[in-house]
Amino acid sequence: MVAMCGKGSSSRTFWNKLMEFFTVSLLNGTIYGLLLFMVSAGLTLIFGMMGVLNFAHTSFYMIGAYLAYSLQKVIGFWPAIIIAPIIVGFLGVIVERFFLRRVHKYGHAHELLVTFGLSFIIAELIKLFFGNYPVNYQVPSSLNFAAFQLFGTDYPFYRLMMGVISLLMFGLIFLLLSRTRVGIVVRSAIYRPKMAEALGHNVPLVFMGVFGVGAGLAGLAGAVAGAFYTTNPNMALELGVLVFVVVVIGGLGSLEGAMVSSILIGLISSFAVGIDLSAADVLGYVGAGEWAQQVGGLLTLKISSLAATIPFALMLLVLLVRPSGLMGEKE
Amino acid sequence: MHKSTQLKFAIAPTLALVAGIVTAAPVKIAVLETLSGPQASTGLLYRTAVKYAIDQMNAAGGWNGEPVQLVDYDNQGGPSGASDKLKAAIADGVQIVVQGASSAVGGQITEDVRKHNLRNPSKEIVYINVGAEALELTGEKCNFHHFRFGGNAQVRTKALVDAMKQANVLGSKVYSINQNYSWGQDMEHAISDNAAAGGYKVVEKALHDVNKIQDFAPYVAKIKASNADTVLTGNWSNDLLLLMKATRAAGLKVRFGTVYLDQPGNVANAGEVAVGHYVVQSFNPEASGAEGERFVTDYKAKTGHMPAFIEPQTVFGMQMVADALKRTKPEAGALNVNAFAKALEAAKVKTSVGEMSMRAADHQALLPMIVSTVTKDAKYKVDATDMGFKPVKRFTAEEAATPVQSSCVMKRPA
Repeated sequence: MVAMCGKGSSSRTFWNKLMEFFTVSLLNGTIYGLLLFMVSAGLTLIFGMMGVLNFAHTSFYMIGAYLAYSLQKVIGFWPAIIIAPIIVGFLGVIVERFFLRRVHKYGHAHELLVTFGLSFIIAELIKLFFGNYPVNYQVPSSLNFAAFQLFGTDYPFYRLMMGVISLLMFGLIFLLLSRTRVGIVVRSAIYRPKMAEALGHNVPLVFMGVFGVGAGLAGLAGAVAGAFYTTNPNMALELGVLVFVVVVIGGLGSLEGAMVSSILIGLISSFAVGIDLSAADVLGYVGAGEWAQQVGGLLTLKISSLAATIPFALMLLVLLVRPSGLMGEKE
Repeated sequence: MHKSTQLKFAIAPTLALVAGIVTAAPVKIAVLETLSGPQASTGLLYRTAVKYAIDQMNAAGGWNGEPVQLVDYDNQGGPSGASDKLKAAIADGVQIVVQGASSAVGGQITEDVRKHNLRNPSKEIVYINVGAEALELTGEKCNFHHFRFGGNAQVRTKALVDAMKQANVLGSKVYSINQNYSWGQDMEHAISDNAAAGGYKVVEKALHDVNKIQDFAPYVAKIKASNADTVLTGNWSNDLLLLMKATRAAGLKVRFGTVYLDQPGNVANAGEVAVGHYVVQSFNPEASGAEGERFVTDYKAKTGHMPAFIEPQTVFGMQMVADALKRTKPEAGALNVNAFAKALEAAKVKTSVGEMSMRAADHQALLPMIVSTVTKDAKYKVDATDMGFKPVKRFTAEEAATPVQSSCVMKRPA
């Protein structure tokens, strides 16, 4: 039973509504998932490479949004969307070269703490320069139109564009990693760094490059999504936890895994919102509904009110059943 | 407060502090807010407003010939931090605690204050709640040493519904969407309770996680499917902004009735999306005449920005505190908190939006309310945009008031 089915409606309108719910949720969920992928792609690559979760990763997402916001006032929207991620990429390179590499020899815990501290510093710097409140970063009016009508509702073009950018990004990284020489070196440096180094490849340079590209991708996601959602000093934090969930479910270090789990989480959060079902309703089918209503608490909690929590439950499940993630190879 | 003297003595608090002759115990007022971390922006606003009001108090001579001291404690965003810092404040000799940014924190403080006062007779402290609006604070949790100077879900929704109905923008189908915690649940109840008065039907109710959702498109699909004319919501911060932006992106023509649209940055970020939506406020400079203009100018001169969001209600609340302090005589050079609380029960101030007073039965302040809409022809523009809040309807404190909750059983000291 779906939220929209009214009691008095005929079966035909019920099916229409169900179709509408299904199509809209599918589209919304997929595109939100693609956005999540844009942010988590870099994170999962960096993890695969260095074995360290980069806590500052979503900070790069935030910097990307703020940079694009500042730049678009001067050079226009499109140039800003292109230049901001490049600058963020360079910032990533600097962070790897001058911070992470220095603490690398002390082990993972230190690297983790460096990125953790960095995320705080970046957040405070953003507040210092841009203030405590969301900034006025909006989708330019030339892009602010409906792509098509879906069951009488406009579907924003910008949403589709975000999805397309994400797909292009996935395609490019995938081809780069699997079809080029650079890709081979990178993959070998990720899985067997010592051996790659012994074969004469400059592994630290590869690390630096991957870190920079990963940061740049997050920056791109921020530049694109910041205009559609909000650009505020908490955006890193808001997305941060969810992106980790994506990477853990997908399998640390696996690009395809990140794609699958991003879309999965996008779809789950989108569909769950429309399902006003509680445990009490289900128990109602076996005649225990009244009892469940009386007990209340967890039993009467609607699935829709838990929409944002379900991904975390899924992560727990994945960690219990398959700790390496859906497509991960590293334990 | 005499506004004319306050300008003349703008420099007095500084002088008073420099001269600071410490004799008996000066009154210490603590701001127990979130002053660092992601939620700090609102906490810092509360502090600014409290500081402004205390500077006024001191310009008018302080209490018992001494300036009132303001001390800050950072509750670090949560009830546990607040509980720790409250202990620190008590140890530092604080007698008046001010907080407002969160009902969760407010619930913790009011319980801690109640227990402290039970265990430490004659060393009582009082909690000045300037913005935690959950109903339970003046309901089952109400106690003699808690005073609320903000509104609550019932007061705000009643005014909002009344004004929107009169402006003919409410429609007959209302969608209720709120955050899933005490405040949001109160709002959901209030929206249902006002259905008869507003002549609408609540077509659907949704509760969602607080500040966790990035993508509101699925909720917009639900709103669309419900054919609602108006969305009533108590959402704040990102949960409000993202919801409004997603609605506009889908080309959905619904009107929003909100409580927190006037939070700084909201109008700038929402842009044109905000135009035509409604907000219920405790202050609007355009609705408060020359007196209000003076307040706005003076506040801007002292703090660098116009009073917005929760700042006016905080200043007014603290003016009531000042009024009660003035009427409380020192006992052996110190403040008797119970005597002060009794004086506060009868506090009454005249502000630029009208008279406000404290209701002794449940310690809920009776505040005038103003319902405004976002337009380009508002007198005062906000967030450096060409938009502002234009008053639609004003409510006196009596008109806005809702009855005392029957769950409030207040125990007064003998």
